Amino acid sequence: MAVRIKVKNAETGATVEMELEQENTVDEVIESAATFWSKDMGAYVLRKGKKVLRGGTSLKDAGVMPEDVLELIPDPEGG
Amino acid sequence: MRLGEADDARFDRSMRIEWLDLESVFRSRVLMIGAGALGNEVAKDLALSGFRNITVVDMDHVVGSNLNRCVFFDEEDVKARRAKAEAVCRGFRRLSPESRANAVVSRIEECGEAPFKENDIVLGCLDSINARVHVNSHSYHSGKPYIDGGMQGFIGKVMLSLPPDGACLQCGMNRTHSKVAETRFSCTGEDVVFHEPRVPAEITTTSVISAIMVREALKLVSGRRDMVLSNATYYDGQRNVCEEIAIDLNPECPVHAIR
Repeated sequence: MAVRIKVKNAETGATVEMELEQENTVDEVIESAATFWSKDMGAYVLRKGKKVLRGGTSLKDAGVMPEDVLELIPDPEGG
Repeated sequence: MRLGEADDARFDRSMRIEWLDLESVFRSRVLMIGAGALGNEVAKDLALSGFRNITVVDMDHVVGSNLNRCVFFDEEDVKARRAKAEAVCRGFRRLSPESRANAVVSRIEECGEAPFKENDIVLGCLDSINARVHVNSHSYHSGKPYIDGGMQGFIGKVMLSLPPDGACLQCGMNRTHSKVAETRFSCTGEDVVFHEPRVPAEITTTSVISAIMVREALKLVSGRRDMVLSNATYYDGQRNVCEEIAIDLNPECPVHAIR
C-alpha cells in the first residue's frame, strides 16, 4: 500500500511530498530526500515528532502513517 | 565568618549549587578524546568546574586556522607544531593548578582498553564517525558513561550513553553514517579527506555544545542520573533553540549484540 508523506528539510524549512510503499525503509527516505535537496555528503537522521527513526526499519514498522510530516536533520559530526 | 571570606574561596559559588557534589567532581577521572575546537571549550569548562584529573587524547598538532576557536592555543603553538593534547593540558593546568592533566598524543584507536578502564567518564570531542563508534563501544563495554558532542556550523548535538541502560550512540546511526564513517569532519590534520564549504566548528555553537556536555558530566559525577538528558539534544544556533529527541535502543546495534 502506498503512503504519501511529507519530508521537511530542517535546515531550510522546505518540504517535499513523497509517495512511498510501506516496505520502503527509513534509510531510503533519508537518501532520497538528501539527494532531492542536493545535500552535502554527510550523516542525516529522520525524525517523527520527538523520536529518531531507525535506518533499516520499514515505514510500516516505524509507524509512519499517511500524511505524516517527517524531518530530515543533519547529524553533526564535527568537533 | 570573616567578612569577604566567600569571595576568597575559589569554589564558593559552585558550593551553592545544591545538587553538585564537588568532592566527587574533584576526585573523578575524565577521559576527553579530541582536543580541537570542542575539546578546548570542554577542557576549559571542566577545569573551571572543578575537575582535576583529566586525560586528553589527540593525535594532531596546532595550526593557524585553529586560533579563531581554540582558547588554549596560540601563535607559539603553531610555530612549535605543538601537539593539541599537550597544549590543552597546559591550559588546563593553568586554570586548575592542583590538577593532573595527562596528554596522550595518539589516535584513540591505538590506546587500547586502559584509558576507558582507568577513567570514570568519557567525553567525546571527535570529528569522525569511525572514532566515535570506537569510543562509544569501548566506553559502553567498560561500563563508563559517554557524552558525545558534535557540531556542524550552527547545528550541534549532544548524546549520552549510560551503560548498561538505554541506547548508545551507534543505535542512532543509519546508512548515511556508514557512508561517511571514514571521513574526518574537520579542517585540519594530515588525514582530512573532507574539504568543502561546510563549517565544521564555529565558536558560539562550540561554546553551547561544550557547556551542555560539561553540565551533564557534572550531574553524572554528582550521582544525579535523574537529572541528565534522557537521550540526545539537538541545538539549532540559527534559531537558538534546543530540542531533546529520543533515540531508542536498537536491538541490532553491534554494541548491544555483543553484551
